[in-house]
Amino acid sequence: MSAVTAGRRTGTQLTFRQKLSNFDYKFSPYLYVAPFFILFALLGAFPIIYTVNVSLYDWDLLKGQGDFIGFENYLTTLQDPFFWNAFGNTISIFLLSAVPQLVMATIIAAVLDQAIRASTFWRMSVLLPYIAAPVAVAVIFTQVFNQFGGPITGLTELMGLEPIRWGYDPFPAHIAIATMVNWRWTGYNALILLAAMQAIPRDMYESAALDGAGRIRRFWSITIPMIRPTMIFVIITATIGGLQIFTEPKLFDGQSNGGANRQFQTIVLYLYEMAFPRRDFGRAAATAWILFLIIVLIGLINYAISRTIASQDISRVRTPKRAALTANGVRR
Amino acid sequence: MKLSRRTATVAAIAGTASLALVLSGCSTDGGNGGNGDEKITLTITTFGTMGIDVNYEKYMEENPNIVIEATNLENGGAARDDAYAKIAAGTGLSDVVAIEEGWLSTIAEVSTAFVDLRDYGIEDNKSDWLDWKYAQGTDADGRVFGAGLDIGPQGLCFRGDLFEAAGLPGDREGFAEAIGGEDATWESFFEFGQQYTAASGKPFYHNPSFFWNSFVNQQEEGYYKKDGETLNIKDNAALKGQMDLIVANANIGAGLPGWGVADQAKNDEFAVYVCPSWMLGVVSGYYDAGTTGTGWDFADVLPGGAANWGGAFLGVSESSEHKEEAAKLALWLAAPEQQAAAFEAAGPFPSTLAGQDLVKDSVSEFFNDAPVGEIFSNRAQGVIAQVKGPEDSNIQDNVFGPVFDKVGQGEITTGDAAWAAAMELLDQLVKQ
Repeated sequence: MSAVTAGRRTGTQLTFRQKLSNFDYKFSPYLYVAPFFILFALLGAFPIIYTVNVSLYDWDLLKGQGDFIGFENYLTTLQDPFFWNAFGNTISIFLLSAVPQLVMATIIAAVLDQAIRASTFWRMSVLLPYIAAPVAVAVIFTQVFNQFGGPITGLTELMGLEPIRWGYDPFPAHIAIATMVNWRWTGYNALILLAAMQAIPRDMYESAALDGAGRIRRFWSITIPMIRPTMIFVIITATIGGLQIFTEPKLFDGQSNGGANRQFQTIVLYLYEMAFPRRDFGRAAATAWILFLIIVLIGLINYAISRTIASQDISRVRTPKRAALTANGVRR
Repeated sequence: MKLSRRTATVAAIAGTASLALVLSGCSTDGGNGGNGDEKITLTITTFGTMGIDVNYEKYMEENPNIVIEATNLENGGAARDDAYAKIAAGTGLSDVVAIEEGWLSTIAEVSTAFVDLRDYGIEDNKSDWLDWKYAQGTDADGRVFGAGLDIGPQGLCFRGDLFEAAGLPGDREGFAEAIGGEDATWESFFEFGQQYTAASGKPFYHNPSFFWNSFVNQQEEGYYKKDGETLNIKDNAALKGQMDLIVANANIGAGLPGWGVADQAKNDEFAVYVCPSWMLGVVSGYYDAGTTGTGWDFADVLPGGAANWGGAFLGVSESSEHKEEAAKLALWLAAPEQQAAAFEAAGPFPSTLAGQDLVKDSVSEFFNDAPVGEIFSNRAQGVIAQVKGPEDSNIQDNVFGPVFDKVGQGEITTGDAAWAAAMELLDQLVKQ
């Protein structure tokens, strides 16, 4: 390098080799990362942009592109009662899955974070459901929640209760579907949260314990605020996954697109019905974009909420401590 | 810029390699394959219990250069979504594709995705098929895009043992007579059902939508007028009348879903099934292979007269690399002998006259030794080929399906309310 800079100072031309080395230094990093971006452009960005194009046309699945109709697909979708039915179902299933899932995952992570025997065994165990293919999970749970002679129906009958119509009434159906989601994802989220908890310095707990904070207090005032960034990540990914739910409701009865009366038709199932059985590709594309905007919106709301909740806790714990330290310093 | 020796070598290698790729690409595209000992793999996608899989082995034995790779999807709906997606993508269709009658008219609109079987000699055997079946597989331009496989004449599957236990006639002839024999009407059929439920305390049927579909198929014109474009539902007094009748008899239904009721069948939770030919395989499929003496029987009767429900066609995709071999396979599978073999295996009734002749003495052990071959040829008499429109399967699944679900669950209790609910769905779902 010093030769190069010396050469430049005296005004002599760079040799080809020097130029090449300079070029290498400046641009190689971009080439190294390029494969990802090229793949992203091909497989990620292109479909997204192409979907916009499709959504602006009257586009039959089989016959292809028709007339340009601007935003009409968006307007008809937003005026379609079935879309709003799907929207309501999605939010209901999302809340029934995301909330209990994250609460359970946090509790499990906190338990696994303690010094327990055979900790690796327990940590691996909670991940087991995640390994099962969602289709297999859906098939099994569909049997469990079969309203005509499934084990749960058998239990309610034994107790002399009216059988619950899992496949027919919307709310029980949502619970059944949310159960599949929770079963699969709770352990996965728990492990991510556990990783974050492991990174918290142990002496923080010790000093808090010396200050007389109990287990619960330490959990709320140290663990929760310290895993805030991970918590936000988990909430955002759960939001994206929850709003895009498809496999579980699709397989819940295996025949229809979310129940004969659309009792558990989610937005993605609605999109699927639009695209394939009903062959209206334009409206399916418009639905995809509406879903995208909904996810961004709910994601932002979640981000804002999780930020404020967690940051309040942090200031409550940390500020007085720092103040005390400075005061000590001054006193000394 | 002067290339160094090394760069030039690399460029030469790259050039040769890409040239080789281009050349080899051409050679695989170009040939028709079939000549000589070259192995050819043909893919085929079917659905449900079509029975045609029993013929694959035989074909591979007779044609050692052919390997058949078969995919069977669970039901017609799955096959429809699969085919639509692949036609839209312009690639991915199997060489041979089974098409269901319910969505045949939609496929006819894009029939160029499939080869014209006239180019492969289907016309030589045109007279094999029932006229209407052959016509259904022909598009507006006269291209034959689907070779007829099975048809769906309907009789009634019933549980003789349960009827007898309820003090009603439980043998084939007795049951048929009890609901009116050749003059059986839907009214007399439901009357019998009321007697059964009153005597046994058990539901008579599993889901009312089957009676609806049978009735619709019995009409001169179904959901569409004969032109295949004008809807024929609103102000249709016949359809409304059947709706009223079904709702009035909802009390003898079990409120079960349309499909997937194996356990309920074994638990005697219903006693009758409208049975198009392909349904025989569905019902016997509830039990282990070889089971007999379950009480199921099959009667030569259908309330309201003959009707065809469903039936499949085989198309050869235009994107196939081996069109000639695929067309040969499709036509072979749709030939009388193979149709007859499929019938023996799973029940779908041949759409060729010679095929029907081959199975006329066929007896089903599962259905209490019922002479199914003879019954189906009787049931096929007087069947009319109804013109289906592009939204036919959508109307069946999404307009009337949900309404009968509600009727079955007791959420809708009058014919007027059921009709109003269906018309509302129709307005929302079908562009008119």
